[in-house]
Amino acid sequence: MAAQRDDEAGWSAEAARRVWGGAVPLQVHLHDADVTTLPPPPPFLTLGPRIGYLPLLVPIIKAHFSSTLPPGIDTVWFEYKGLPLKWYIPIGVLYDLLCADPERPWNLTVHFRGYPSEILTPCDGEDSVKWSYMNSLKEAAFIITGNSKNVMNMSQADQGALWQSVMKGNLDGYMNISTRLKLGPFEEDCLVRTSSVEGHRVPVRLYVRSVQEDLYDLEDALPVGDWESISYINRPFEVRREEGRSYITLEHALKTLLPEFFSSKASRIPDDSETAPQAPDSAPNDDSDVTPRSCEKLESSASSSPQEANVANKGKIVKLVRVQGIEVDMDIPFLWVANNLKNPECYLHICVYVGTRKREPKDGR
Amino acid sequence: MAAVAAEQKKVVVHFRSTGNAPQLKQSKFKIGGNEKFLKIIDFLRRQIHQDTVFLYVNSAFSPNPDELIIDLYNNFGIDGQLVVNYASSMAWG
Repeated sequence: MAAQRDDEAGWSAEAARRVWGGAVPLQVHLHDADVTTLPPPPPFLTLGPRIGYLPLLVPIIKAHFSSTLPPGIDTVWFEYKGLPLKWYIPIGVLYDLLCADPERPWNLTVHFRGYPSEILTPCDGEDSVKWSYMNSLKEAAFIITGNSKNVMNMSQADQGALWQSVMKGNLDGYMNISTRLKLGPFEEDCLVRTSSVEGHRVPVRLYVRSVQEDLYDLEDALPVGDWESISYINRPFEVRREEGRSYITLEHALKTLLPEFFSSKASRIPDDSETAPQAPDSAPNDDSDVTPRSCEKLESSASSSPQEANVANKGKIVKLVRVQGIEVDMDIPFLWVANNLKNPECYLHICVYVGTRKREPKDGR
Repeated sequence: MAAVAAEQKKVVVHFRSTGNAPQLKQSKFKIGGNEKFLKIIDFLRRQIHQDTVFLYVNSAFSPNPDELIIDLYNNFGIDGQLVVNYASSMAWG
């Protein structure tokens, strides 16, 4: 059984179960403009799976509000504090990215009218989400193996079953099919070895959100007003062969992926919120099941020259790094994070909060 | 560093028609790397005067319109160009 090899294996059944079982409590309010009854209907409470997508919740939400909706049909969409939510981003990522200080339940507004098509790509319910999921999986496969054949050669039946398992959060069903795609895990025990034939690439989606530079308490983060203030970056991490055996820490991986934000020492906000399983900051994490043993840093506190830091940094400081609701210990081996905290389309989604000196209204990064 | 320079970088996009989609007179274009894939979609729609067009990278997948062109190039580029296949109907599900 996989579980017995947890301390050795790059893939931990327990971590995967926690990721798959994770959910965000949602309190969904019907937008005022869609209310046709008095009194207005009460909000709808439900759990949004972290690895799930908002449009998949529409059938149950629609049923709840059905008696009050105006006639006619339109695409359903969701909004948080005025920001229309991108439906192709997993619910857990939206929550980690937009709720600086985790709000429980998460108060969302549902709209049954006036789809903001200038901001959101068209969505035709489950079919669109499945299409988007399969495309992401093919992209990930291309990054990992150099082509998308494994996914494209899947039978229709397997594709359907894979999607159903993602939709229903059925990890066993998912593993049955996905292991045949041979898209992971990377390096069984998270060690990088010279003996392995060639380097490889880990698919990563990064969401970089600007917050006030002097932000101390996450509660005070200004809400995201528009998607332009978030940089959506897709950069795979390339694992290169080095002499001997070494760990790549998450910190090293992020510095490599986002050199423009990590060139000076990160000053992160002490997180006192009770987010999920969390490795204590800089404490040695040895005998835990979910967290891997402590590790050597590949590169001890990368010494970039002060001039370089000034040029590249432009006063940007990383405040917070969040993966699957966890403020991850930066010394954890990156490959462990990639193997265990990835989403079912084989992408690792990382939310990065960056303090920015001046909030210029139209500045994307 | 590399990433800063990459933002200004232009990417060669090589369009290839599939099925009965109209051919382009010129098939290679340079597009700014910090633009989104949406820019390529809109550009192609104007070029072939069709609103319905399906775009694929490497005959395999349709990137999200929000993805940066430089990221697509770095992730999926082949021989110094980003190959974009297009079709009037769905070609690769």
